[in-house]
Amino acid sequence: MPLGPSSSAIHVQSNAPGSTPNTIRVPTSVTVHPVALFSILDHYLRRTDAQDRVIGTLLGTRTETEVEVRSSFAVLHSETSEQVAVDMEYHRTMYELHHKVNPKEVIVGWYSTGSNLNTYSALIQNFYSQETAPHQAIHLAVNTGVEEGEQAGVKAYVSSPVGVFPKPENCVFVPVPVELRFHDAERSGIDLLTTTASASNSTSNQPVSDLEIMEQSIQTVLQMLDRVLGYVQAVLAGEKKGDTAIGRYLMDTLGASTDDLEKSGFNASLQDTLMISYLANLVRSQAEVASRLALAAAS
Amino acid sequence: MAATSMAAALAASLPAPSAAPAPAAPTYEAIPASMSKVIDIEAEIPLTFVQLDGMVVTKILKHAREAPSTTAHGLLLGLDLDGVLEVSNSFPLPHHGGDEDDRSSKSVARYQASMLRSLKEVQADDSVVGFYQATSLGAFFNQTLVDTQAIHQDKLRHGGVVIVHDLSQTARGNASFRAFRLTAAFLSAYKKSNFSTTSLVNHSLTFSSILEEVPLKIRTNPLLSSFINTLTQPSQSSVLGSDGELGAGTTGSTIPPSFARLDYGTAGLTRNLEQIVEAVDNYRTEEGNLAYLSRQIARERAKADNYVAKRKEENATRVAQGLAPLPEEDVARLFKIPAEPSRLESMLLLGQIDAYGKSLAGTASTGLVKMYAAKAGSGRD
Repeated sequence: MPLGPSSSAIHVQSNAPGSTPNTIRVPTSVTVHPVALFSILDHYLRRTDAQDRVIGTLLGTRTETEVEVRSSFAVLHSETSEQVAVDMEYHRTMYELHHKVNPKEVIVGWYSTGSNLNTYSALIQNFYSQETAPHQAIHLAVNTGVEEGEQAGVKAYVSSPVGVFPKPENCVFVPVPVELRFHDAERSGIDLLTTTASASNSTSNQPVSDLEIMEQSIQTVLQMLDRVLGYVQAVLAGEKKGDTAIGRYLMDTLGASTDDLEKSGFNASLQDTLMISYLANLVRSQAEVASRLALAAAS
Repeated sequence: MAATSMAAALAASLPAPSAAPAPAAPTYEAIPASMSKVIDIEAEIPLTFVQLDGMVVTKILKHAREAPSTTAHGLLLGLDLDGVLEVSNSFPLPHHGGDEDDRSSKSVARYQASMLRSLKEVQADDSVVGFYQATSLGAFFNQTLVDTQAIHQDKLRHGGVVIVHDLSQTARGNASFRAFRLTAAFLSAYKKSNFSTTSLVNHSLTFSSILEEVPLKIRTNPLLSSFINTLTQPSQSSVLGSDGELGAGTTGSTIPPSFARLDYGTAGLTRNLEQIVEAVDNYRTEEGNLAYLSRQIARERAKADNYVAKRKEENATRVAQGLAPLPEEDVARLFKIPAEPSRLESMLLLGQIDAYGKSLAGTASTGLVKMYAAKAGSGRD
């Protein structure tokens, strides 16, 4: 699941056989958890008027070639035309606080909003590289999409020194593919947010019953079936040229076997489910009676 | 202002033994006329609903899933405005074991204070409005939750809320967040820490009247909404994108639609049944204890009554013989009648059983719908 506009960059990984096994490899992919992303957006909303962009620290885990950004926190900084200052003490304090709750997450890099990279970016990158040594720091540029003509999206970079004598304010930012990743169990939470975001007043009521959610899903499936049916009929009638790839997909999807269900599976399962439903209601009424009896005992 | 946040932090820290210092009186700027109706300094406008920010939703989700135990909890930060409690931020609290010694509670308080101070520096909200608690299978009734909320309800503006997030329901495809606060009846019984049968009857308390639910709404701010909408937009370079009509689904978008909730899995059911059995067992043990204690009370009382009756008889004969009667007041000293046992624990256990039952019934009913849907899908009904 790529984040942001697609780019034409080719990500080449140097895998020279001569390289010593001890060298730390450059991360080849970056994944971002929604929490980190949404925290960055929230931080951007809460910036002061004087701030053009906001920066912060990314926390996460890393494997040999992949960096997983799990959360983020805001860091104070100030930029003028002459100098840039990052509140390092604040950064340390916040990191320690986060570390207490989630000891597995370490500093992996930093984020900034807006997509322009400049000398200050290189300087900040240099600072964070010291924090993440011996690993490389990654830089996440989040385009919030508030400026006209720019699409919201996220880009990730690693830095590499440039020049004969490398200086901290000079570096090349090499793009790295970035993806959004979350656990399957969190899926429904993200769904909840997407439905909320598309609602007219950006709010949704809770709690929603399981059955309502189910109804929505079934409605969507019905709509999709209608669309597929319409397409197939159009192809059959010769109004449209059929796409063999689509036909193959449809065959795979709709040809699923339901033999198991048609035999005795359905009835057996039905009995089990009804039994459980009965049991659940029985337990609940027992609990209710017990609590009422406790009240009645003394009177 | 650092003093204010410090005070708020101390007030919110659950085991804080000493009373929190009174918050330093903040200096108010003149409130614009348009806002004077909706800002209440004295917290007089009652809460109508709780509004949960999208970021908090993801933060709670992440913490609840990653926490080592199922009892992840953290603090909610925000503001109340015109009866709406806006929860705009949250942070997790470090997990600590069952034994809450003084040192760990102090370190938690320190953690809170410095976290709140740090958040304030980056213009985030820093007033505590409640806490959240992760639970599984709907059984969130427990002693810690009640204790914490009782402290909060005492010290926070509007009493604070507890937001309960059900982990298992979320895994089934329905992210669930509910807001609760303690009822007045329960609070008054709790303050006297009297949960004897008579007290329960007086306050007419059952497990369903411990907590009252506050309506909860989820809100995404415009920036987040637009960002999410960008993520759900289909990208043009998908395989089926060439066919405008059929490819109009959201293939290739960052957050494709999911139909995992239509899966007919019954994995959670066994666990749920086990939990019910366990809770019922616990309840039986607790009831056994209560019965034992009340028998003991009855026995001691009977002994005391016997003694008094005997003493009275003796006195009557002594008076008849013209002697001075023996004193009667040492009964209470001779016989220690134990205090009536607290029924809070058994009430909470009943609440748990009820919650497990409810979640089981919910799973069963959706299971039925899914089964019939699958049968209809097989085309030969």
